[in-house]
Amino acid sequence: MVKIILLALISLTFLNASSFEENCLSCHGNDFKFNMMMKKYTQKYSSEKRIKEAIFDYLKEPTSEKSVLPYEYINRFGTKEKTTLDDKTLREMIDVYYDRFNLRSKIY
Amino acid sequence: MYKSEKQTIFYVLGLYLSSTLLLIATLFATYYFYKQDELMHAEREILKEYSSALEEKLLFVHENSDERYEYPRFENFKSAIYDIDKKLIFSTLDTKIDNLDKDFFFKGSNSYYISSLKPHYLGAAYSVVEKKRKPIDILNDLIITALIIITITIITSFFLVKLVLKPLRDNLRLLDNFIKETTHELNTPITTILANIETLDSKSCDEKSMRKLQRIKTASTTISNLYQDLVYLLLNHQISSQNEELNISEILNQRVHYFSQAANVKKLNLHVDIKEGVCFNADRQKIERLIDNILSNAIKYTNKSTTIKVVLTQHTFSVSDEGKGMSQDEIRTIFQRYRRFDKTQGGFGIGYSIIKSIIDEYCIKINIESELDKGTKVTLTW
Repeated sequence: MVKIILLALISLTFLNASSFEENCLSCHGNDFKFNMMMKKYTQKYSSEKRIKEAIFDYLKEPTSEKSVLPYEYINRFGTKEKTTLDDKTLREMIDVYYDRFNLRSKIY
Repeated sequence: MYKSEKQTIFYVLGLYLSSTLLLIATLFATYYFYKQDELMHAEREILKEYSSALEEKLLFVHENSDERYEYPRFENFKSAIYDIDKKLIFSTLDTKIDNLDKDFFFKGSNSYYISSLKPHYLGAAYSVVEKKRKPIDILNDLIITALIIITITIITSFFLVKLVLKPLRDNLRLLDNFIKETTHELNTPITTILANIETLDSKSCDEKSMRKLQRIKTASTTISNLYQDLVYLLLNHQISSQNEELNISEILNQRVHYFSQAANVKKLNLHVDIKEGVCFNADRQKIERLIDNILSNAIKYTNKSTTIKVVLTQHTFSVSDEGKGMSQDEIRTIFQRYRRFDKTQGGFGIGYSIIKSIIDEYCIKINIESELDKGTKVTLTW
């Protein structure tokens, strides 16, 4: 029974990871930009809960006020489009994003 | 130095010293707390600088690292950072900090400073810096200074009290000298009067002259008794006790007989109940002074035509009169020298002072029961 649960969890993680590649990395490309974004979010929102909430909020309804990017950048490229993902998937993707790129786990 | 004088010196010294000590303690405590406050302020400033240094380093690490972030470490202090929800991000501290609301505090031997950070580099919303607390080492110096000041104060106050009491001492010495000289002058006439009365032939006098003679004898006895008291008091510190086994019953009988004349003048009824063969090891002269003073007091202060009871048992001697009695306050102060409650009677107020010195020497307990307008009972127990 334990084995089954463990296998299910691992496969779910891989499933989520592959969804992340598909839903996020397919457009955003490399890790560098994601790193930068996480730094910006961490610098502004500090805690895990607030960072995740801020990302979710922005992706659902992107505005220049909510964006963590510099005003000049937004002015030039504009804000991104609204997400097409449902809330549940979006939150899962944000969780994967945070787990991979958060600063806290990289401090030594 | 008299006992009362010593007592006054102690009281004044106590009062003077306690007020001075209170003043010194207040001054020193104020100074100590002021220094402590100054030190705390200095500590806070140092920690504030450390906190700024940490913030600068956090900014540097946040901006210049990508994959891994090396937490800034310092030689002279330790630190920790917390996120905006007060969850620990990273710490090099030895202890855990629970409360991030106070900005500066001491815990154990360390001092801590907490500051809010914005922007939140590495996610840090609060930084905590910790350093070893600098001890306040002025306490020992303060104690030594206080001890020196207290010593000087004690010495000064002692001389001050002596100076203030000097006029009082001079007056007492004058009184003592006066009594001493008067006593010497009294000796010869009293002895002459008493010796001559004793040798008078009672048969050659008529009844009226005889009564007059008896009165002269009583008065002379009183003066003689007073003389004996004064001599005892003046020489008290110079003579050593010649202790011997005394037959108290015999001495008491003699002394009662000696005072019977004085009792007759006041028409007193002397009720004497003396157990035979009661012995006590003491100086004869002192025991006579003791008995004489108790008896003469009873005769002097009792009312006319009343009864005086003199009772001697194996271990007690009591004399009770039916005089005006004393209050509890008067009994408490009775043993003070020159203390007299009834100014209508003659005397110097030295009787009970003598009684006290003798009973103290022979460890005899005294009990004075007295009721105003009813009488007094003095009991000695050994």
